[in-house]
Amino acid sequence: MSASFLKIDNLRVHFPVSGGWLKATRRLKAVDGVSLEIARGEALGIVGESGCGKSTLARAILKLVDVTAGQVVWLGKPIESLSTRQMRPLRDSMQIVFQDPLASLNPRMTVGEIVSEPLRVHRPHLTRAQRKAEVGQMLERVGLSRDQINRYPHEFSGGQCQRIGIARAMILQPKLLVCDEPVSALDVSIQAQIINLLEGLKRESGTSILFVSHNLAVVRRLCERVLVLYLGKTMEVAPSDELFRAARHPYTLGLLASVPIPDPDVQPARLEIALSGELPSPLSPPSGCVFRTRCKFAIERCATQVPVLESASERSQVACHRWRELRENAG
Amino acid sequence: MTAILAVDALSVRYETPDGVVNAVNDVSLEIAAGECIGVVGESGAGKSQAFLAVMGLLAPNAKVSGGAKLRGRELLGTDPRALRELRGAELAMIFQDPMTSLAPHIKVGDQIAETLVVHKRTSWRDARAQALKLLEQVQVTDAARRLTQYPHELSGGMRQRVMIAIALACDPVMLIADEPTTALDVSVQAQILSLLKRLMRERGMALALITHDLGVVAGLADHVTVLYAGRVVEAGTVRRLLKQPAHPYTAALLRSMPRIDASVSEPLVAIRGQPPSPRELVGGCPFHPRCDLAQPRCAEERPTLRSTAGAMVACHFPIAASHGDLS
Repeated sequence: MSASFLKIDNLRVHFPVSGGWLKATRRLKAVDGVSLEIARGEALGIVGESGCGKSTLARAILKLVDVTAGQVVWLGKPIESLSTRQMRPLRDSMQIVFQDPLASLNPRMTVGEIVSEPLRVHRPHLTRAQRKAEVGQMLERVGLSRDQINRYPHEFSGGQCQRIGIARAMILQPKLLVCDEPVSALDVSIQAQIINLLEGLKRESGTSILFVSHNLAVVRRLCERVLVLYLGKTMEVAPSDELFRAARHPYTLGLLASVPIPDPDVQPARLEIALSGELPSPLSPPSGCVFRTRCKFAIERCATQVPVLESASERSQVACHRWRELRENAG
Repeated sequence: MTAILAVDALSVRYETPDGVVNAVNDVSLEIAAGECIGVVGESGAGKSQAFLAVMGLLAPNAKVSGGAKLRGRELLGTDPRALRELRGAELAMIFQDPMTSLAPHIKVGDQIAETLVVHKRTSWRDARAQALKLLEQVQVTDAARRLTQYPHELSGGMRQRVMIAIALACDPVMLIADEPTTALDVSVQAQILSLLKRLMRERGMALALITHDLGVVAGLADHVTVLYAGRVVEAGTVRRLLKQPAHPYTAALLRSMPRIDASVSEPLVAIRGQPPSPRELVGGCPFHPRCDLAQPRCAEERPTLRSTAGAMVACHFPIAASHGDLS
């Protein structure tokens, strides 16, 4: 593997939560000790249920939220303690696409203004004509037409707005593209268009992608590796082909079994509950293994001892006391 | 087969200052007792509009024509007071966003009990006792405490369970579920779907499951109706539709879905363009501008829904079984 250019070490993002007047402030541990690396051109998927800390992790990497502890090393340089001003010159190399395509575009700016704004900020030497040419090219690359440059976001459908959001993120040719649930607000027939567009852009530009999604089928298509997050902690990291063929962590197995398959011969049996209960409050996470309250295989040890993230194969890691035993029983 | 709900040539249109909006066009379907029918389509396909019309919940400027009979009794054009007695008692509906469909300032126990007080003239004391039983039936943990909580104190999955409890309070013969799991995590989605399946079986209740997700349909539905641009394009058994789709739209939807159980080496086949807005009038077949199999005839003449080998299809050139077999 080539030298990873994004490396995150033991990252923590904690938010203070007021308990009320005269009550102690509590700490919500949104991300609690996550380490990961992304190589050049690699796509890493971050999956988990709502509230597991996926978006906070993505935003902490871009320094859109403050990091409580740990390190974020971007192109060999620690960035977690940089000021907003010091961060600014680095921003052109890391861009983000948001979930809600219409809400993330300024309704009072034309498409041309939206897509050219990053150029105006980060490439001030470009002339107006050069900017316009680049914007036109970018729009065509994401499947829109140059003629639409003077239109406003409300004149576009959800899928087209997401294309505009992707154009705005890609115009600076970033080295890292963070996608936070980029297709979940779109219609089924449009999702495939955007997935194919992202696949194409990744192939052509060699941009690394951090892909945050709760949709495992989409992650499987786009990402070479997957990190499974639960209550701010890593449960499992593995290459996609390994994870989707033979996941090790009971949480990953439960998530995979919950994804509906459009086959009437298979799906009715899958409806038997794969994962019971819901995510506990991150304000009072369970002791020991955070997943144990929903785990079919939990034993006493899981309540007392936090499982460490250990190597399970050459490129995968899992945090579960019983994974070996479960795998032997299953095999 | 006696239909619990029979929708016949239902159309919904709006006259707006910007022109006529045809939300639902000539939709017919039947649901038998204890059966689940999946109603599939993208945004703007008319799936919610059709069932809101059945419930009599459309905006006052909606023009509804056609018929909808619940156990032989016509619902459309019924006196609003009579309809109000049916709604919630025999015919109930749950929605996508359980937060906005619950009253934020009323305890969930009282919201469940209210249905019984209104429809069954139960006393509040008895109704609250029944509310507890209902919450237990929809598998809400710690049900007694939940009764006194407000919707914002519950998770999305819990709120949807409360909505289901309200819908089931008067033991309806028919439940309409409009994208009941779209706002939920896959794990909770699986729980809610299996709950709906169990409740159907236990109560012999019919279910209309409105969704855009063919995977959700595969787990629950007996029959499926696919809507496009406010029209039925294909209808048949769930096996026929998902295994041998005859309409190019159904087939294309299936091919465009990323699947967890399929190879990723082949690119997804996206459907080009986007679903038409109900404001636009597309001549001929409404799907022809996006259809890979379209011929000149498709732009000129609208195909009618006709029966072909076990399914109803509105297409001039339906896919033959051998080509459409995806299994």
